[in-house]
Formats: sequence, C-alpha cells, structure tokens
Amino acid sequence: MASTVIGAGITIEGEITSDEDVIVAGTLRGKLVAKDAVTVEHGGVVEADINAGPVAVAGSVTGNISSNDRVDLQNGAKVVGNVKATRITIADGAQFKGNVDMDV
Amino acid sequence: MARTPARSDIHGTRREAVIGQTTRVRGRVSGDGDLRIEGNVEGDITVRGDLTIAEGGRATSTIEASAVTLRGELDGDVRASGVVRIEAGARVRGDIQGESVSLEEGAEFVGRLDAAFELPPELGGAGGEARRRR
Repeated sequence: MASTVIGAGITIEGEITSDEDVIVAGTLRGKLVAKDAVTVEHGGVVEADINAGPVAVAGSVTGNISSNDRVDLQNGAKVVGNVKATRITIADGAQFKGNVDMDV
Repeated sequence: MARTPARSDIHGTRREAVIGQTTRVRGRVSGDGDLRIEGNVEGDITVRGDLTIAEGGRATSTIEASAVTLRGELDGDVRASGVVRIEAGARVRGDIQGESVSLEEGAEFVGRLDAAFELPPELGGAGGEARRRR
C-alpha cells in the first residue's frame, strides 16, 4: 500500500519530504526528498529535483534525479535533467535529455 | 514500477491524494480531487474535493475545501462549502466556516464557528435561512 499519493488533479508547490513511498500522478513543483521509492505516473508532472530510493518515471520530470538505488525511465517518460544512480534503464519510448552519472 | 495503482485511480472519478504518515509537505496544495492528510502539511490547502485530516495528521494551513473531516491537529482556518466534522481526538485552533459544522465529544476546539442554519419561525426566522455567529 502506497503511503503518499499526489493524485491527478492535485498540485503541490513546495517541498515534500518522506520516509516512505511517494507516487506522483498530479503536479509537483519544488523539491522531493524520499527515503523510499518514487513513482511518477503517466500524466504526472514533476518540476523539481528528486532525491530518493528507486525512481520510476512514466510521466514528465524537469529537474535532476538522484537515487541511491535505480532509476527507470519507462515508455512515455519525458525527463529533462541529470540522472545520478547506480543503475539506470531507459526504455524504448522514453524521452531523455541530460547527463547520466552512474557513479563508477 | 510494480506499484502502479489501478487505472480507475488515474482516470476514474476517485482522484484522492494522500499525504502519508512520515511525509511532510511545506508549500501550497491545490487541486480538484480529494485530499487525506496522515502526515504533516505546512501551507495553504485549496481543494475542490473533500479534505480529511486523519488521526495523527497535522496541518498548519488555511483550508478551503468541500466537506472537511478533522480527526487530527489543525492550526488554521477552514472555509468549507460542505459539512465540517470535528471528530473525537481532533485538536483544532482556528475559525471554521461551513454549510454545517458538527463538533463531537472528545474534540478540542478553540475558535469561531460560522454555519448557516434555519431559524425556527417563532424566532422570527419565518423558516428562512439566516447566518449566525456564535
């Protein structure tokens, strides 16, 4: 059971910090810090830097993504920003502009 | 990616947002869905749907919503177009305005209530609606 859900139609302007999972299906502008997984759903819009555990993106992210685990840019994802993670996948159909830092 | 909610959550009529227990939001929250606060929100909240502050939830906010149910802590004013329920265990400090307001035994409330209600005819209300402050 997901703990924090920014539903479609909801907009948050500001900073979110969480120790648990965060799912964004709405809009977030500001900053997102989560200790656990972050999922940006299809239709979700994040204009913020993301600092989290595993990150899965199927929506739109403008900002830098930093993960202590993996980052998956899924089909339909649109990401503008730098991605830092130990493991990264970019699926067919994902749009990505930015640098990748795999910390090697 | 395993935790994709059901399609109906995204495109259906229920578009609830949840601020989970360990989640803290600092900033403005707005939108047309429902919102449930189990964690901590500092900042104004404007939603067209219903708002619930769950037990353990805490908000320092001015709230505008449809129906409002308070079971946690609120520091700030409420302007609801629907019913406002202040339930047992709630701690509320602020002015409440709503279509109707209920205050349950066991709730702590400091502030002003402003709700529309019908005055009985014998009090000169003629059955009409009056706005009263108490």
